[in-house]
Amino acid sequence: MDESSKLIKTADLLLDISSLLMVSGANTSRINVTIDRFASVLNIKASSFISHKTIVMTLLDEKANLSRTRVKNIPPYTINFTIISAISKASWTAIDEQWSLEKINEEINRIKILEKYPRWLILIAVSLAGAGFCNIFNGDYLNMLVAFVSTFIGLYIFQETHKFKYNLYIRIFLGSFVSSSVASIAVIYSLGANPQTALATSILFLVPGVPLINSFTDLMDSNILNGLVRFTTGFMIVLAMTIGLFLAMYLFQINLR
Amino acid sequence: MLDVVIKLIEVSFWSGAAALGFGILFNIPKNSILTVFLLGASAGFIKFLLIHFNIHVVLSSFTAASFVGIIGVPLAHKIHQPPVVFSIPPVIPMIPGYFAYETVLSIMNFTFMVDSPEKRLQLVDVIFTNGFTMVFVLLALTVGVALPMLLMKKNTVKKLDN
Repeated sequence: MDESSKLIKTADLLLDISSLLMVSGANTSRINVTIDRFASVLNIKASSFISHKTIVMTLLDEKANLSRTRVKNIPPYTINFTIISAISKASWTAIDEQWSLEKINEEINRIKILEKYPRWLILIAVSLAGAGFCNIFNGDYLNMLVAFVSTFIGLYIFQETHKFKYNLYIRIFLGSFVSSSVASIAVIYSLGANPQTALATSILFLVPGVPLINSFTDLMDSNILNGLVRFTTGFMIVLAMTIGLFLAMYLFQINLR
Repeated sequence: MLDVVIKLIEVSFWSGAAALGFGILFNIPKNSILTVFLLGASAGFIKFLLIHFNIHVVLSSFTAASFVGIIGVPLAHKIHQPPVVFSIPPVIPMIPGYFAYETVLSIMNFTFMVDSPEKRLQLVDVIFTNGFTMVFVLLALTVGVALPMLLMKKNTVKKLDN
C-alpha cells in the first residue's frame, strides 16, 4: 500500500470515529480531543471542521509531506453513551500500547456492534423514570401509575414511528400528543390526589437534555456554530413537545385548577 | 420531623430512578448504572433539602447540578468513563417540568378560553412567574453541571500534552 492510499484509509477511519461520536451525543471538544489522540498514535496531524450534518477532515503526514482531505456525511442521531465511553477507553489504550491502523480499525468495528439495552428494558426504565418524575412533583402512587402508563404508550409510539422513517419532530409531536392524551383522560376522571402532575410529567421522556447541555458546553468552548445548532435542535424538540401537549389539552378542555 | 425525612428519602429514591431511566434510554455502560442512580438520588436529596429550608428553587437546582458536575468528573476519571456519562442523566430529573406545564396551560387558557379581564390579568402573572422560573432553572442546570467540567478540563488536556 502506498503512502497516499494509506493516508486516505486513515482519514476515513478518523472520520468514522468522529461521526460515531457526534451521533452518540459527544460534545465537539471531546471529538477533537479524541481525534488528536488517535492521530498522535498514527504520527499524523489532523485538522477538522465538524458540523451537524458533515465532517471535513484534512490529514497531514509531515514525514512524507503529503496531505489528504476527506468529507463524511453524518447519519441520523441516536444517543449512545456506551459508544462514547468505549471510544474514549480505546483512545487511551491506543496511546499506551501504540496501536497500528489495523488494530484501531478492528476495535472501532467491535465498538460499532456493541449491544444496546433490550427494547422492553428501555420501555420499562423510561416509564419508571416518568413515574419518578411524577413523585418528584408531588404526585401520589395512583398519579405515578398514570404517568407510568402514559409514558409507556407515548414512548412505544415514538419507537414504532421510527420504523416508518418519519421526521424526528413529527415523531416527537406524536409521542407527546399520545402520552398527554392518555394522561388527560386520567385528569378528566380526576384519578389520584394531583392528576395534573401526571399530565405534566407524561411528556418529559422527550426532554432534549443531551442537546441542551452539549449546546452550553460547546458555546463555552467557543464552538459557537455547533452550540447554536444544538440549541436550535433542542428548541425545536421542546416546540414539538409543547404543540403535542397543547393539542391534547385543548381537545380534552383541561382548565387551571 | 420523621415524615419530612421519609418524604425526602422517597423523593431522592425516585430522582435516582428517573436518572437511571434516562441513563438506560441513553444507553450508558453497564458498570456505571449504580453510580448514575446514586448521583441522581443525591442530587435530588440536595435539591429538596434546600427547598425544604426555603431556598429558592433556582438556587437549589443550581447547587444540586454543580454537585453533580463537581463529583461526576473526578468519579468519571476514576472509573475510566468520559464525564458526559455521569453529568447528563443525573441532572435530567431536576428539569422544571411542572413549571413548563403550568406555563403552557396558562398560555392556552389565556389565548383560547378566558374572557374576563381580571382573570386574564391573573393568567399573565402565572405565565410570567412560571415561565421565567422555568427558564432560570434550565439555565441553572446547564451552567451548574457544565461549569465544573470546563474548569477541571485543564487536567485532561495537560495529560495529553505530556
